[in-house]
Amino acid sequence: MDATALENEARTAIAAAADADALEELRLRYLGRKSELKLALREVRDRETGMALNAARTAIEEALAGRETELAAAAAEDGEPFDPTLPGEPLRRGSLHLLTQLRRQVEDVFLGMGYEVYDGREVETVWHNYDALNQPEAHPSRDPRDTFYFDESTLLRTHTSPSQIRAMLAQQPPVYLISPGRTYRRDALDATHTPVFHQIEGLAVDRGITLADLRGTIELFVGAIFGPRDVRMRTSFFPFTEPSVEFDVTCYLCEGSGCAVCKHSGWIEMGGAGVVDPNVFEAVGYDPEEWSGFAFGLGLDRIAFLRHGLPDLRLFWDNDLRMTRQF
Amino acid sequence: MKVPVSWLREYAAFEWPLERLAAKLVFTSCEVDRIVHRGVADTDGNLGRFLVGRVVEAGKHPNADRLQLCRVDVGEGEPRQIVCGAWNFGTGATVAVALPGALLPGAEEPLGEAKLRGELSRGMILSERELELGADHSGIMVLADGIEPGTPLADVLPLTETVLEIETGFNRPDLASVYGIAREVAALTGAELAPPPGSDPAPEGDEPVAVRVEDLEACPRYIGRIFRGARVEPSPAWLKARLLAAGMRPISNIVDATNYVMLALGSPLHFFDISLLAEEQVVVRRAAKGEKIVTLDGHERELAPSDLVIADANRPVAVAGIMGGEDSEVRTETTDLLLEAANFDALTVLRASRRLRLRSEASTRFEKGVDPYAAEQAAVYASELVVALTGARFTGHTDVRGDLPERPVVQLRPELADRLSGMTFPVEEQRETLRRLGFDVDGDRVTVPTWRAQDVTRPVDLVEEVVRFRLEEVPSTLPSRSAASVQLTREQRLRRQVEDLLAGAGYSEAYTWSLVPVAEGRLALEEPYTVEMAALRTDLELGLLESAERNRNAAVEEIALFEIGRVYLPADEELPDEQLHVAAITEGGFFRAKGALESLHDALGVPLGSTERADGRAARTGYGRIAELPGGWGYFELDLDALFADVPDAIAYEDVITFPSLKQDLAFVVEESVAAGDLIAAARDAAGPELRDLRVFDVYRGDQVGEGKKSIALAAAFQSPERTLSDDDAARLRERIVAALGERFGAELRA
Repeated sequence: MDATALENEARTAIAAAADADALEELRLRYLGRKSELKLALREVRDRETGMALNAARTAIEEALAGRETELAAAAAEDGEPFDPTLPGEPLRRGSLHLLTQLRRQVEDVFLGMGYEVYDGREVETVWHNYDALNQPEAHPSRDPRDTFYFDESTLLRTHTSPSQIRAMLAQQPPVYLISPGRTYRRDALDATHTPVFHQIEGLAVDRGITLADLRGTIELFVGAIFGPRDVRMRTSFFPFTEPSVEFDVTCYLCEGSGCAVCKHSGWIEMGGAGVVDPNVFEAVGYDPEEWSGFAFGLGLDRIAFLRHGLPDLRLFWDNDLRMTRQF
Repeated sequence: MKVPVSWLREYAAFEWPLERLAAKLVFTSCEVDRIVHRGVADTDGNLGRFLVGRVVEAGKHPNADRLQLCRVDVGEGEPRQIVCGAWNFGTGATVAVALPGALLPGAEEPLGEAKLRGELSRGMILSERELELGADHSGIMVLADGIEPGTPLADVLPLTETVLEIETGFNRPDLASVYGIAREVAALTGAELAPPPGSDPAPEGDEPVAVRVEDLEACPRYIGRIFRGARVEPSPAWLKARLLAAGMRPISNIVDATNYVMLALGSPLHFFDISLLAEEQVVVRRAAKGEKIVTLDGHERELAPSDLVIADANRPVAVAGIMGGEDSEVRTETTDLLLEAANFDALTVLRASRRLRLRSEASTRFEKGVDPYAAEQAAVYASELVVALTGARFTGHTDVRGDLPERPVVQLRPELADRLSGMTFPVEEQRETLRRLGFDVDGDRVTVPTWRAQDVTRPVDLVEEVVRFRLEEVPSTLPSRSAASVQLTREQRLRRQVEDLLAGAGYSEAYTWSLVPVAEGRLALEEPYTVEMAALRTDLELGLLESAERNRNAAVEEIALFEIGRVYLPADEELPDEQLHVAAITEGGFFRAKGALESLHDALGVPLGSTERADGRAARTGYGRIAELPGGWGYFELDLDALFADVPDAIAYEDVITFPSLKQDLAFVVEESVAAGDLIAAARDAAGPELRDLRVFDVYRGDQVGEGKKSIALAAAFQSPERTLSDDDAARLRERIVAALGERFGAELRA
C-alpha cells in the first residue's frame, strides 16, 4: 500500500471532520484494529516499509489530536457568550454575633491552656454574688440603684465572679476555668452603657500560683487575641482579690502613641484581676495555706466594641442585618 | 478628688517631676485622670506682667459716666494711665494690675493697649474672678495696704496652680484628703512627710459644751467646741484660691474653714450658729417618726427612725454626717459658733443618704468610713483657722467618745509576699515600706495606723502594701501544672454545632434582652428598669420578633435570625430554672421555619418526632414549637437542654449501598381532616423496617378527588440491608400499606 497516499487521504478527511463523532469515526477507519494501516503493519516484513507505515500512523494520530483541540475550542465559543466577571449564584449566608465570635476565640485560647469552660447561673443568690466574694456590706455596688434584685436574697448577677464560688464548691483544687456569660447592672442605656452586658471570668487555683502567673497568662491571652501587646498592671481594689490589679494593654489602634480610642493614654483598660483573697477560699472550704490562685474578669462588649470600631454599644442588641452581615 | 499641687507640696515636698509622680501613682495608689493647670499661665514670662499697683489718682472718665480714669504706680517711676469700670476703690488703693501683653486665665489673646472713649488704657486693674481667685466680679480686688508697687503679683497671690485629678478606690478612704495623698507621695518618693497641719489656739474660757450622744455605735466620737465673737466675712485670697482649685465654691470664712480642713485631713466638720440651738444644746440621736428638717439645700425632708440626727433641745438641726439644717446655719450676722468635729458610722450614713437621696462631700467620705481619730486633728486645725480668720475666741471644748477601735496588730509573714507575688521581697524592704506608710513595725509584729485600720487586718493585706510599690516589676510566668486534658463539655460542643448550622443555613445570630415586660409566669424585678425591661423572659419570641420587624422596617431583604440564650422559668426552689433555648425567625412562614428545624434535627441525629397541631398555624414538636407569627414570620423555638440529652454520641451506619432500593409513588385520597404525618406513621407501622423512606411530594385538592377530600402523593423507597428486594417484595409491602391506610383512614389508592 502507499503509506503517503493513505496519510494524505486521512489528513484531508480529519481536517474536514465537523464534530467529535465524525472524528471518532475517522479514528476507527484509519487507526482501528481492522483498519488498512493496522492490517498492513501486522503483515509488514521489511524494515523500510515498516518505518514508512509507522511514520504515517504517528502523523495521523497527531492530526486527530490537533483537530480534537480545534473542535473543543470551537464548541466553547458556540452557545452563550462567556463572561467570568458576572456574579455567582447567590448563597444566603448567616453569621455569628460578634460577641459569640469573640467568646469562642477567648474560649479556644484558654482551652488550649487547659482551662475548662464553666457555665454559671445568671439569677444568683446574694451570698454567691456578694457575701462569698468577701464584698463588704457597705460596698456601693450592692445598692438597688446599681443591682437588679428579685427579693432580698436573690438578684441578677452583677459579674461572672459567682461562677468562681459555684465551681469551687463543686470540686477540689486544682481548678482552671473560664466562665463567660451575661451580667447585669442598673446602668444607663446609651452609646457606651447597657444594663445587660457580657463578661468572661477566669480562675486558676493550684499549689504555688502567683501574681507573676497572672501576668504571664494575661500576656499570652492578649497576644493570642490582639497580637503582640504590652500589658501593664496597676493597683486596684476588688473585695475578692488581694492584692488586686487592673490590667491595660497598649492601644490596638495607635499602638501606644495615643489616640481618641485610648483617650490619648496609649493604653486600653481590659479588666480587673488579682490574687484570690483567703476569705474567698474559706467561703468554699479551701485551705489558703495550701492553695493559692488568681482570678480575672474581662468585659467582652467593650473589647469587641473597640476592636471593631463600633460607634454605639446598642448595635450589639439591634440585630440590624446591615451591620451583622459585615462580619 | 482634685489635689492642688502647691497644697500637696506643703505636706510632702517631693522633688520628682509631676508627670513622673502621676505616672507612678497610677501603679501604686490611685487612678490619676489628668493634670490640669489653672490660673495665670506661667509661660514666656507671663507671670512677670502681673504686678501690684498703687492708685495715685482716680477720677471720672471725661467722656464716660461709668468709667474711672486712673493713674497707677506699678514701680516704673512714671504711673500708668488705666481706664477701669469698677468704683469700689479710690486714690491710695493697692490693686492687682495686668500690663499689656499679659495673658489672662481663659483668654485666647494677650491684653493690648487700647483707647477707651478717647483715653489710652495701658493695662488692666483686675477682679478676683479675672484671676480665677474667686467668684466676685462686682468690683476689682483691693489688696492689703503696704505692699510695694511693682512687687510681682505672684509673690502676694496664688496666681497659678496645678491640680492632680485623682480617683480613689473604695478601700482607701484615707486617700480622700490632701494629707492622705501626701503620705502616699512621701512613701513613694522618699520625701519627708510634714506633721499634720493645725495647732490648737489658746482657749479664752472654759464654758461647758452641752453634747449628749445617745447612740455611741453610730456616733463613736463627737468633739464640740464653742467660739464667740466671730466676724463672718469673705475668706482671704489664698483660701479662696485653694478651694476653687480643689473644686469647691468659697462661701464665707467660717464655711470655707470647714471645707478646707475636710479637704486637708479628710474628716468632715460642721459649724452651727449656737445662738440658734435651743438651750445651746446638742443631742445625737435617732430621728423620731415624722420629724422633719429643712436641709441647707432648701429641701424639706421627712426623717425616719433609722436616720441619725443632730438635734438641739427641741428639733433636729442636721442629718448626721450628711447635711446641716437651714435654720441653724451660720449667717452673716452670726457671732457665736458651735464646731462639730465628729465621726459617724459608715452604714448609718450610707442608709440615710440612700433613703433621703441626699449626698454631700461629707456623706461620700463618711459612707466609706472616716478614721475616728482624725476628728481630733480636724478640730484643732479648724479652731486655728477660725480664730485666725474671724477673730473669734475659743471658749469651750468637749470630746464625747465611745469605744474607738484599737489599732489592729498584724503578723508580718515575710514569706507570704514572695509566695503570692512570684518575686523576692527581702524582709528589711518589707518592713521599710510599711514604716514609710505609717505602720509601726517591731520585728514581725506590725501595728496598723488608725487611718488604715479598716482594710489592713490580715497578713495578706500587708502583702498588698508591699507588692503594690513594685507592680511594674512583676515577671511573667505561667502556672506549672502537669498535663491536663480539657475540652468543651458535650453541651458546649453541641451548642457551637447548632450555631454553625444555623449560620450556615443563612440565619444570622441575634442577641436580645433577657429583660422583658412583666407578664403572668415571668419573674419580675423588685424595681423595674423600664416598663419594657421589668421581668425575665420565659421564651425568646419577643426579642426576635422585634429584631425581625426592625429589619423589615429598614427594608432589609432575606431576613432570617436566630438566638441561643437562656430563659428563666420560675421554680419551686430559691432560684429559677435557667434553660438554654434556641429560636429562629424567618421570612417565608411556617414551612420555611419547619424546614430549618428538620435540618437541625437531621444534623444532630434526633428525629423531629410527632408534630402536634396547636392553635393557629402552629404546632408542638418533641422539644419545642413551630409557629407562624403575625407578619408572616416563620418561627421555631426549642429547649436545647432536652434536645442535647437525646443526641446520640455516635450514629451507627445503616447499609443503604450494598443492595439497591426500589422506588414507588403512591397517592391516597383521604378526608380533609386526615393529617399527612398520621398517614406516614401508620404506613411505617404497617410496612416495617423495609420501608426505608416515605415522604409527601404533593397534595392535591380539586374536582378529581371530590368535595372535602384531598389526594396525598407519597414517594416510598423499599430497601433491605440483607438482600436485593424483588418486585414481589415491593408489591407485598405496598399491599400492606394500602390495606392499613384503607382500614385506619378510609384512604383509597388513587394511582
